[in-house]
Amino acid sequence: MHKEAAIREPLILGHKTYSDITKDVVGPIMGRPSKTWFILIGIAAVIGLYGVGCILYLIGTGIGTWGLNKTVGWAWDITNFVWWVGIGHAGTLISAVLLLFRQKWRMAINRSAEAMTIFAVFMAGLFPLIHMGRIWMAYWVLPLPNQFGSLWVNFNSPLLWDVFAISTYLSVSLVFWYIGLIPDFATIRDKVIDPIQKRMYTLLSFGWSGRAKNWNRFEEVSLILAGLATPLVFSVHSIVSMDFATSVIPGWHTTIFPPYFVSGAVFSGFAMVQTLLIIMRKAMNLENYITIKHIEYMNIVIIVTGSIVGVAYITELFISWYSGVEYESYAFINRATGKYWWAYAAMMTCNVISPQLFWVKSWRRNLKFTFIMSIIVNIGMWFERFVIIVTSLHRDYVPSSWTMFYPTAIDIGVFVGTIGLFFVFFLMFARFFPVLALNEVKTILKSSGESYKNEDSQH
Amino acid sequence: MADKKYWTGLEDLHKTEEFVNNSRKEFKSELPVEDFLANDKLSESSTGRRDFLKFLGFSVTAAAVAACETPVIKSIPYVNKPEEIYPGVANYYASSYYNGQVFSSILVKTREGRPIHITGNKKDGFFGGAINAEVNTSVLGLYNASRLQAPTIKGAKTTWKKFDSEVKAELQKASEAGGEIAVLTNSLISPSAKEAVSRFSKAYTTEATSVNHYQSDDVSYSALADAVEKVAGERFVPFFDFSKAKVIVSVSADFLRSWLSPTTFVNQYKGHRNPESGSMSKHYQFESIMSLSGSNADKRITVRPSEELATLISIYNHLASKMGMAPISGSNKELDAKTKKAASDLASHKGESLVVAGANNLAIQSMVLKINAILSNTEKTIFTTKRFNNAQGSDKGLETLKAGIKAGKVKALILIDSNPVYTNGEEWKALLKKVPTTISVAEFKDETAVDCKYVAAKDNYLETWNDYSPVTGMYAIGQPTINRLYSTRNAYHNLLAWSGDNTAYLDFIKGVWLRGSEGLTSDLTFTSFWNKALHNGGVVVSESAASANLNGSVDWVSSQSKIQKDGFELSMYQNELGTGTNANNPWLQELPDPITKVTWDNYVTMSLADVEAMGLNNYIGEKDHASVVKVVVGKTELELPVYPTPGQKTGTIGIALGYGRGENGSDLGRSTYQTAEYGGYITDAEGNPLSIGENAFKFVQTINGNTSYSVGKVSIEKLDKTYPLACTQTHNTIMGRESIVKETDLHTFKTSDKHHYNHGHTLAMHENGETVQKPIAEVDLWDSHPVEHVGHRWGMAIDLTKCIGCGACVTSCHSENNVPVVGKDEVLRSRDMHWLRIDRYFSSSEDQKKHNGEEFSYKAMEIADDEPTVVHMPMMCQHCNHAPCETVCPVAATTHSNEGLNQMTYNRCIGTRYCANNCPYKVRRFNWFNYQAYKKFTDVNPAQDDMGRLVLNPDVTVRARGVMEKCSMCVQRIQTGKLDAKKAGTPVKDGAIQTACAEACSMDAITFGDLNDDKSIVADKSKSDRGYMALEEVGAKPNIYYMVKVRNTEGSSHHS
Repeated sequence: MHKEAAIREPLILGHKTYSDITKDVVGPIMGRPSKTWFILIGIAAVIGLYGVGCILYLIGTGIGTWGLNKTVGWAWDITNFVWWVGIGHAGTLISAVLLLFRQKWRMAINRSAEAMTIFAVFMAGLFPLIHMGRIWMAYWVLPLPNQFGSLWVNFNSPLLWDVFAISTYLSVSLVFWYIGLIPDFATIRDKVIDPIQKRMYTLLSFGWSGRAKNWNRFEEVSLILAGLATPLVFSVHSIVSMDFATSVIPGWHTTIFPPYFVSGAVFSGFAMVQTLLIIMRKAMNLENYITIKHIEYMNIVIIVTGSIVGVAYITELFISWYSGVEYESYAFINRATGKYWWAYAAMMTCNVISPQLFWVKSWRRNLKFTFIMSIIVNIGMWFERFVIIVTSLHRDYVPSSWTMFYPTAIDIGVFVGTIGLFFVFFLMFARFFPVLALNEVKTILKSSGESYKNEDSQH
Repeated sequence: MADKKYWTGLEDLHKTEEFVNNSRKEFKSELPVEDFLANDKLSESSTGRRDFLKFLGFSVTAAAVAACETPVIKSIPYVNKPEEIYPGVANYYASSYYNGQVFSSILVKTREGRPIHITGNKKDGFFGGAINAEVNTSVLGLYNASRLQAPTIKGAKTTWKKFDSEVKAELQKASEAGGEIAVLTNSLISPSAKEAVSRFSKAYTTEATSVNHYQSDDVSYSALADAVEKVAGERFVPFFDFSKAKVIVSVSADFLRSWLSPTTFVNQYKGHRNPESGSMSKHYQFESIMSLSGSNADKRITVRPSEELATLISIYNHLASKMGMAPISGSNKELDAKTKKAASDLASHKGESLVVAGANNLAIQSMVLKINAILSNTEKTIFTTKRFNNAQGSDKGLETLKAGIKAGKVKALILIDSNPVYTNGEEWKALLKKVPTTISVAEFKDETAVDCKYVAAKDNYLETWNDYSPVTGMYAIGQPTINRLYSTRNAYHNLLAWSGDNTAYLDFIKGVWLRGSEGLTSDLTFTSFWNKALHNGGVVVSESAASANLNGSVDWVSSQSKIQKDGFELSMYQNELGTGTNANNPWLQELPDPITKVTWDNYVTMSLADVEAMGLNNYIGEKDHASVVKVVVGKTELELPVYPTPGQKTGTIGIALGYGRGENGSDLGRSTYQTAEYGGYITDAEGNPLSIGENAFKFVQTINGNTSYSVGKVSIEKLDKTYPLACTQTHNTIMGRESIVKETDLHTFKTSDKHHYNHGHTLAMHENGETVQKPIAEVDLWDSHPVEHVGHRWGMAIDLTKCIGCGACVTSCHSENNVPVVGKDEVLRSRDMHWLRIDRYFSSSEDQKKHNGEEFSYKAMEIADDEPTVVHMPMMCQHCNHAPCETVCPVAATTHSNEGLNQMTYNRCIGTRYCANNCPYKVRRFNWFNYQAYKKFTDVNPAQDDMGRLVLNPDVTVRARGVMEKCSMCVQRIQTGKLDAKKAGTPVKDGAIQTACAEACSMDAITFGDLNDDKSIVADKSKSDRGYMALEEVGAKPNIYYMVKVRNTEGSSHHS
């Protein structure tokens, strides 16, 4: 058995047994949901439905119900898209990259992080659809055989690359997530008493029997999928960034966008994981599994990616000056000092300055502080996309066309609505799915569990 | 009853055996079912059971699918095809436009009998077929559903028969009663109409009754003719010729936009805006508001309206001192200094200079005549032998009429094309009540018609015959291009009808022409003379008036010069809406003002310094609304928003005339009122819809016997209110971006190498271990499109020196390409749909600092100078050979044609707007709503009613919601031109194809053609020293070339 140094902080606190882990995870699924859960999902559903209403009005009336104009053709729609895609990055990074690096601390958080990823990608995928003037023709972006004289899509268009990138990412993430769920579903299947629940989980667990052969295949598939998913972590946001990087608009046309976007995505993804887990560990009594150490690890990722993002911002500024291109340099002067200076200031504060506070160890181990910071980072990352999209577009080449962008109630409604929908999905997940990868957590109990470590140290 | 029995026949009654047997069988004879089924060959039949089911399935499905088909709108073919009409082929008719002031020779394009587009008759028309936006949008007026559809008596519709008999009886009564029958018209330039008036006059003149004809213009030019009368003893308006003037001094005369006869002057002006030809006219403009002419002047000097006379006196004194004449008093040192350069330029161009002034003021116009006279300009640039026939209105005459009405002398008043209740509401409403019989001849139930007992519904000018003589010796014909839509009549045909003459109006005109052309048509029969005139739209005959002396004494003007030093002065000016005759035209309302870029409103123009001093909003944007002020002149006050206008003289304000129409219960059409955000009108407290803008005619005063459009002693009070102004452009300056706008001065252009004023961009490249500067054109990431000398490559050259910013191209494009009208709220949200816009940039002194490589601030660069120079830059799709929009469309909806066009495939577009974002020129327009049906646009978009839809160009798709659109370089015209050439078996001739904008441009600033045709004008211009591509360094390689703006200024002007 793999042994771990006692001075490493344990990843599972308390005197847990395998049975305890099963009970802790499966228990909530078997019981009745709490009142709080009903209240929360109620609120989320109301907000989500409002968003759906806004979307229906948008589709029924026209894109003009948003605040866009002849100069600013994208604003909150694509900001929200990139923001949600970014959030969707943490899940795959945790489950795939950390798996390849054999990071054990991922086991407590990967399930919910992956769930978050999938729901975030759902929300993200919504925006490219509804931002189309003619959503009923949306299937034209797929390279389908057709009767229009074999009219093909334009493979030069970064938007088309997006279609492939996002759909690939979503399908791989979904499969990866589901594969991981199978043994856990099987455990639930074996535990639940209610015949309907039993039938459901039997179906979901795909006849998992727990034999060595099963486990062997499970491990192999996980590894292969991790291998497949890892490049996706980098490709998806790189491709999303190419929507901007390959254009000619000053402030968009920037070669550092791919790495900058990827690190920004991981940054915001981890922040969102923090937001969700800090609530969940409390609400579902998972403090022993999602420990302060886990929070700290994630905060360290936030410092690193936040710093990369900060460097990218500074590099952009430097290059805009160094390039000597007047449009480029104006774009950045305008960002920092123009009419949207407040958005730029918000972005800089939230994304560059605030994560540096995590250098203080006691702060990064403080739950409340971390929670607030995670919200700030997500606000900052939303502003980052807003700054990139809107401030670049609103004053580009020809001054006669310079305009401002003002959001309408529908802009706001759609965005808030997706947050509502996201939480509906996530709350449903927390209720019916094993929120911890319980079978994986069990594998580290004897090496990283608190009581076992203590036993070892006593010898 | 129950035992009654009905037989089916005798067989039934008799119950024959055969009948009984037959009645038991369903079929009379045996059906060969057994035989059929037993037939061995059945299985060999090609239609088996399975096939049968297949057919059944197919037909059911086919029927179901057919039922889902979109509804078909049936068109009815001609039973007897009209001789000249071929469905799908346009017909053009030469005709004439005259709105009471502006005359234009036009070509009317009709499709299947509907006039759909108006452009200038450049080939045969007068004044080079010059038009302006009001002229080419006038076609929409024909289809205004609110036009009067029949004559009305006391507001009730009636028949012409009844109407005529009542009117005749009333006139007879008036004639018998003694006194006066008055006919009030605008300036009559129609020989036939004049003849009709005199026949009418003869018919009703009795010993006791006189019939008097008064002419009055909406905006009066009376002082000019009065001044001529004062010196020459004869009242007329001299003809001005800017084309012969090398030095032009205009004191507040916006001759390129509104003054006297702008279409004439634009055409004359264009000849001297040609830097290559070696000489350019030097244009000085002294004015308080930033007028269109002022924005194009080589040197613009601001003076207060009350200083205009003193300015002319100053100029006179400078000249007088050079010529050894005595100066006159009335000016001051400051103005002497301002006018010095202009005066010395005038002095050195005797006989080839021209001074004009805009004010309707006897002293000012007398000074103008005097200065031109001492400069020996008479019969060279200002003619007494050739005269304008418009602007005949006399302020004195109108006063006589008013006095007559007040005295109760006028028993009947006929108002033709005149709307005094709009231009002078309070007074005329009272006056009309005093006249027993009031007859209005009008196209709409306008402000005056509402108060008249009889309203004779007038033809639209496109429905009727007319003739015009705008200038001595020029005779034009206006011909109908469509049958009357309603029960209407030619305005002056009414007078004939009421004088008992039943001649058809065409025959009447021909009669007038026959009598008038005696001696002029010696070598032609009258029929061929007439036909030629009809074909060409008009004819020029050698005719001249007697010459007159314009050199009189001006000593008397000194006492008239009263300069107001402090406080505000107000000038009322006309923008593209003119005097408001066509204020109900949504195309015209949506055309931005060339200076302020505001649509759908009028406002107070105020200098930036005054705006700051009064604490008003100095920036107008979507959410940055304009401050509202109360402007008070005497007892009249109006509340208007303030537009901070660079170039406005501090201490003065301007307000555009022609707004505030549709009051007094009139009905001018749906787009006369302000529309609300979700459709419907904005109403006042009583629920009446609010007019667009305010009626500035209320401020007009009579000063020294003339109607004055500038008034002093204006007080302005800041109100605690704001009002949104919808501008299509909210940023005023070019931000030192010299690769968009390039300008230079004439001296540099003539003496320096191209590099000094039009240097191309280079990129530093590394080659063979050395750094070399390579022109942008040679650096390319792409495999080049084979565009050079492969078939056609359509392109344009746009001359910034020539473009005056009038906007005729914008409205022409609107009309040609079915561009939707979106209304104020959408323009406010920066969603105007113009495919072609005119960017207007004010200079900022900070630009110069950047150019010189000094320290500069972008913030300061955003602020225009107090007295800026102006650039008008038409901007449309640049049809880039390496179009950034084309690569980013995921569905390839926008692609490049092999003729160099960037084409937009509407039905492939899914509306991601990525192309618009990636367009460096920001020329793509997105269909945010369904403009053809959504309630928000019901009152602004003419395409939402059955009449308005008739104006749509059938060659151009009306775009659906959610798709992108943009300039197509009038691809439908290119196709037509190519087909014509193919039919003729010749290559496409240069100039044979014209885009709507190029065709509409009276300055010939836009040249369209084939860049691959070495002999084409456009190829020549694009390669000329002035040719450049906007934003060349982006590398999009546009097919639109601009030509450097050259100003006729001395010294080193900036911008290379």
